[in-house]
Amino acid sequence: MRPFRSLSARLTFQFALLFAAAMLAVSAALSSFIAGSASREVQSQLQASGAVYDRLWQQRSRELQNAAQLLARDFGFRAAVASGDEATMQSALGNVASRLRVRSAFIVTAEGRVSSIGTAISGDKSTALFNSLDDGHITGVAVLEGRPRQLVAAPIMAPTLIGWVVFASDLDSKEMRGLERLSAIPLQAAVIVDDKDGWAEASGSLPGLQQREVGLIEAHVERAAAFEMTVKGDRSIALAKSLPTFSGSDRAILLLAYPKAEALADARKLQLALGLMTLFGLLLVGLATWKAAGRITQPLARLDEAAGRLASGEHVQVRVRGEDELARLANSFNEMVGKIAEREQRITQLAFNDQLTGLPNRTMFQQQLEHHFRAAAGNGSLFALHCLDLDQFKVINDTLGHPAGDTLLVETGRRVQDAARGHFVARLGGDEFVVLQTLGDDRDAIDRLARDILAAITQPLTIDGNELMPSTSIGIAIAPQDGENGGALLRSADLALYRAKEAGRRTYAFFEESLNERAQQRRQLETDLRLALERDEFELFYQPLFDLEQNRICSFEALLRWRHPTQGIISPAEFVPVAEDTGLIVPIGAWVIREACSRAANWPHHVRVAVNVSAVQFHRGALNESILRALANTGLAPNRLEIEITESIFLEGGEATLRLLHALRGLGVRIALDDFGTGYSSLSYLQSFPFDKLKIDRSFIQNLLTRDGATAIVHAITELANALGIETTAEGVEETAQLMELRTHGCSSVQGYLFAEPMAAEEVEKLFSEGSDALQNVA
Amino acid sequence: MVRKILFALALAGAASPLAATPLNVRVVDASGRPVRDAVVTLYPSGLVRSAHPSGRYVVAQQGLQFRPFLTVVPVGADVSFPNLDPTKHHVYSFSSAKRFELKLFAKDQSRIVHFDKPGVVALGCNIHDQMSAFIVVTDSAWTARTNAQGYASFNDAPNAPARMTVWHPYLRAPGGLIQQAIAPTQRSLNFQVRLRPPPPAMAMTDY
Repeated sequence: MRPFRSLSARLTFQFALLFAAAMLAVSAALSSFIAGSASREVQSQLQASGAVYDRLWQQRSRELQNAAQLLARDFGFRAAVASGDEATMQSALGNVASRLRVRSAFIVTAEGRVSSIGTAISGDKSTALFNSLDDGHITGVAVLEGRPRQLVAAPIMAPTLIGWVVFASDLDSKEMRGLERLSAIPLQAAVIVDDKDGWAEASGSLPGLQQREVGLIEAHVERAAAFEMTVKGDRSIALAKSLPTFSGSDRAILLLAYPKAEALADARKLQLALGLMTLFGLLLVGLATWKAAGRITQPLARLDEAAGRLASGEHVQVRVRGEDELARLANSFNEMVGKIAEREQRITQLAFNDQLTGLPNRTMFQQQLEHHFRAAAGNGSLFALHCLDLDQFKVINDTLGHPAGDTLLVETGRRVQDAARGHFVARLGGDEFVVLQTLGDDRDAIDRLARDILAAITQPLTIDGNELMPSTSIGIAIAPQDGENGGALLRSADLALYRAKEAGRRTYAFFEESLNERAQQRRQLETDLRLALERDEFELFYQPLFDLEQNRICSFEALLRWRHPTQGIISPAEFVPVAEDTGLIVPIGAWVIREACSRAANWPHHVRVAVNVSAVQFHRGALNESILRALANTGLAPNRLEIEITESIFLEGGEATLRLLHALRGLGVRIALDDFGTGYSSLSYLQSFPFDKLKIDRSFIQNLLTRDGATAIVHAITELANALGIETTAEGVEETAQLMELRTHGCSSVQGYLFAEPMAAEEVEKLFSEGSDALQNVA
Repeated sequence: MVRKILFALALAGAASPLAATPLNVRVVDASGRPVRDAVVTLYPSGLVRSAHPSGRYVVAQQGLQFRPFLTVVPVGADVSFPNLDPTKHHVYSFSSAKRFELKLFAKDQSRIVHFDKPGVVALGCNIHDQMSAFIVVTDSAWTARTNAQGYASFNDAPNAPARMTVWHPYLRAPGGLIQQAIAPTQRSLNFQVRLRPPPPAMAMTDY
């Protein structure tokens, strides 16, 4: 089967073909039956005509015979014949002949003499006629003078046979017309005769018979069945009947023919009507099938179309009619569409929403941001991006646990959403939230929204019984002036957020171009910093710590300097945060430990070296390994290495931090707590870990002589340290008075410009090689 | 009556100057069956001997038939036609030998007809078609009719060339007659003839 583009077409074709075949078969059978029936009808009519002709023939024969017998018995006539009274014979004969409407009549005497009226008869024919009569033939067809005639004879008995009266009725076309008129059908009749000279069409309406046709006719005479032949150029149905002949050797045939076209005309009409009906039926069937197929396939086509639309992302529903399989299919399709829609929604939610807070996530935010950009480009409007970062979230998370942190985030999301109602709010991850604010002409709306958000978030919150006072910083960038695209705008807002944080948190800041410059500098710094180690641009300076009990230098604090190729010395305060942010602090810190240990190994044995370790380095770097390798490589005794940490390392890590500290202590490395007195200064640290030393922050030392409280605090610290068996070092000692005071309080050691500024390693070595107690005199 | 004729013929033969020898004739039909009532006549060349009428010749009408059916008479004989039927009869003959008509004579009436020419006279009744009879008027003394076996004999047939005719009412030949020349030594002849069937209405129960 060739492929169809539509099911409907295929159904129509197949069913129409089936119906058409059936109809054509029925039609053909009917048509054949009609034709056969018509043919049989014609045959039976022909046979009826033949029978009619038989009757006519017999009737005529009897009529003629009666007349002939009547004449033959007439005494006068017999007397005339017996006496050879020709005139009387002929007149009597003529009288009867005209009464019978017979043109020819004969008297044949027993001696063979022939006396005729109407038609003269030749000698040969006379003999033949006599012989036939003498043979006892008294009726039959004979050809006389070239024409077939029906001869009827009656013997003349006087009382012996003296002759015969013979009447010859013409079998001419008139006779045939009469027969044709008698017939119920318009047939053509003819008599053909064979009188030893061959067959000849003797009368009737069929001139010019061909030999072949005669053969055909002869062949069918015996069968008495109709046959087909060509008569006068028309195919005809014919019937041949043998007629009795007057002479035994002659033969005569009556041929009845009926032109086939006429015979079958009615049948043809019927067949035509049947054909038209069939055609009409076919059209009807085709139409009906097409309609029916349409009813079946239309819902399928609708489903097909709907499926196509579904594929292109539309959520379509198909109209359901009825309760059949197609309806169920449509229902299933609709359900499927519904489920697909649900699933899509779910996927969309997963893809575009933050699971924790239910707020849009970063992906959706970026789409929204692009959308805002497009809208802004379209109508020239402005919009503001608020970047929020919770203050101290990490601390809360670490101290109260992640579930508490999550609760805080959820609450924060809710509060931001409340405050920024009507604006797009998203959580980008961690404690980062953003708000997209569409702006009208009122630029102050930005400030109002930022203040509202700050106020909303800075509300007390109780989590697991702990009362928190959350706060946030907000960085604001305005598009398109602060960023041509989403990435740029987000960076700008981030920079502004930094600024807000720097400005002391719990506030908001707008992006300014200078922020961007700073950011660029910082990026440059990052790049340079990465190269600094390779280029060996770092350098350690050492600042001595003076032991107040033994009045000698007991230790040097290694201080990192970066000799930038173009910017000269860069302060650690400037690059260390960058190094911490980028993680470069780890390799740098490792280098510092290695370098410091290497130098200290050359120093007198009572002199230690102190190295600052950043929290990042502590948590992320493999600090333990770095230290072990440095000690092993330099041969420095572990107790000559002092690690200075700040309280900030306790903000993350917790137990791990303590384990690491204990591990270092286990090696014999000393641990000092730097900048003590600022920050949290939680005494719990002192309890949880046995520090070797507390370094009192320089701010206390500077205020030592000017502020009363400072003295008390320094005193308290030293008292506490002494009580715990911890050494103390006072930083930033610049004046002798401060030194005097510190001595009074029992501080273990001091450090500051009063004794020495940080010096290069060579200077330290020179100091030792001179054996100088140069510094001793200070004390 | 036949015997009388034979007797007469015998007398005539005895009177002949020529030697006479018996001559036998047999007539059969096409299928070989003997034909009776065929009239055989011998005409010796150069010799004429007529038979002379002797006695009465009667053809009666009885039971709507002529009786007898066949009568052979010499030329010059008178034949009477008595009507023994209660009906009238109209006896006629169209034969050239004797043409006559005996119109409507009643019972017990008799007519006499004189036959003066040789030939066959076919008798009919114009009222009753089935009535048929023949009178053969012969001018030869040698005239015989075949018996039931189809035989006819001439005891005194002269030993001379002769012409012989055979006639039968239903013989199929012009005049119902065939003839044959015979040599003087030919003393036995067989004739095979074709007969017509007798007319259907003809009652021939009397012979």
